[in-house]
Amino acid sequence: MAFIDFIINSILTQASITIALIAFAGLLLQRKAFGEVMSGSFKTMLGFLVLSAGSSIIVGSLVYFGDIFAEGFGMEGIVPSIEAINGQAMNDLGLANQIALTFLAIFIFNIILARFTKWKYIFLTGQAILWMATMTTVFGSAAGFSGISLILVGGLVGGFFAVAMPAIAQPIVRKITGSDDIALGHFCTIGYVFAAGVSKVVGKNSESTENIKFPKGLGFLSDTYLSVAFVMVPLYVITAFFAGAEFASELSGDVNYVVYAFLQAVQFVVGVYVLLSGVRLLLAEIVPAFRGIALKLVPDAKPALDCPVLFPYAPNAVTAGFVTTTIGTVIAMFVLPWFGLAMILPGMLTNFFAGGTAGIFMNAVGGKRGVLFGGIAHGFFITLLPALLVPHFNSLGFINTTATDVDTVAAGLFFEWLVHPIMNLFA
Amino acid sequence: MSLFKRNKKEPTKTKMQQKVKVERVTEQIEEYQTKLQTAEGEDQIPLLNMLGSLYFEIEDYDQAIKYYEASIEENKALGKAFTDLIKLYNLKRKEATKENDKEKVQFYLQKADELMKLTKDSIRGRI
Repeated sequence: MAFIDFIINSILTQASITIALIAFAGLLLQRKAFGEVMSGSFKTMLGFLVLSAGSSIIVGSLVYFGDIFAEGFGMEGIVPSIEAINGQAMNDLGLANQIALTFLAIFIFNIILARFTKWKYIFLTGQAILWMATMTTVFGSAAGFSGISLILVGGLVGGFFAVAMPAIAQPIVRKITGSDDIALGHFCTIGYVFAAGVSKVVGKNSESTENIKFPKGLGFLSDTYLSVAFVMVPLYVITAFFAGAEFASELSGDVNYVVYAFLQAVQFVVGVYVLLSGVRLLLAEIVPAFRGIALKLVPDAKPALDCPVLFPYAPNAVTAGFVTTTIGTVIAMFVLPWFGLAMILPGMLTNFFAGGTAGIFMNAVGGKRGVLFGGIAHGFFITLLPALLVPHFNSLGFINTTATDVDTVAAGLFFEWLVHPIMNLFA
Repeated sequence: MSLFKRNKKEPTKTKMQQKVKVERVTEQIEEYQTKLQTAEGEDQIPLLNMLGSLYFEIEDYDQAIKYYEASIEENKALGKAFTDLIKLYNLKRKEATKENDKEKVQFYLQKADELMKLTKDSIRGRI
């Protein structure tokens, strides 16, 4: 009995060990060689622990930022970062095992839905599925689900998104690529469809973006770490100025308060770097196996690939969509607080990839004018949705952060607005 | 409407027509290959892309991949070489799935991943 107690109370409560055991079982099921099973399980555990370390770094930096922002501007400044949400959910909320199992459940539901419905999409972007699993688990558990029901509900909702999002994008993807073989697997699709709708209305007979010549020099913003630093460094430093030397020096100790703000901003970037390295290690073992199995079980599957798959079709539209989306997010940053919502700081990385892909969608239906007005609307839209989630994140204990990637936000809102009230009725 | 039209047209393509098409394209391929032998540097790229496209047309996917990859190796400008290569990798992956060749499936999935990574890098360079 003591031994079983030891296993249950001391080993299975350690998320890094249970996640490694899940990987171990998965690798055994695939009949991998013993060496591969062991190294795969170990790497998965390592990945989780690296992710946790990254999360602690991010949280440390965000706590500091929250303090100086509140002092400087008298309101909450929210940093949109799905990585930070994932890290905090896995570590501080103790949902790591549930997220890992929901991640697998989403894969399975994706296969089932693709096999038996007319939506033949297999979602191949592993990282996006991890973010989706994070959101369904966080808001599923807030709605009152736990244990196996939490995993099944999250898996079903996530699996639905994994086939439905490529499906709603496909008419336009078909128009862009000229074929039906390849789909888009990126959880920002509701934003793309919204942007394309606006573009269609305003952009009648407008010329394509591909005839414009753009100045060069913005490419560094597609680099994860540089783009995060590009926003965070000025943001932290300016906020520290507003907070004032007296207040900010209390937090910075012996270091000059401006230098400290600069270093904390860089610290945030370091956290994202470490966390994403962990995610890569964690997914490296699971994702390839899933892809192989899924594509075998659904013979007529359409692979839903990450957003760069569309970039070569309209590279100018990527730049244009990024710029116009960024304008929209900056407008939303200032406008939303008037309506009692939190101030959401622009997330340059999302602006680049989601804005760029939205640019291709908008260009396909509404040309230059469509990209200009549709992009601004898109930027506003992808800031508004995460802003609506902020009170819920705060009440769950998340620190100064909200999710990005509108489809995962939509999944969160679906739980908060629909599932949670229904669950309350039966509680 | 155009979708229906396309569907009606497809089955009317006879084997004879297909054969004539392959012969015509093969002639073009030979012509471009001769040109390629004398071309140097940047001049090779349109020829490599043309050969990739022609092989794709006659469904010789391995050759199409070979020429498109050579084109991208020389010049990473985003365009038809990238968009066709993704389609080609997917077709090869489908073949491998049918043959139940797990390693080949992973190989082409990996290729698609690498191409998308290259796309990210290229878009960085041109903005």
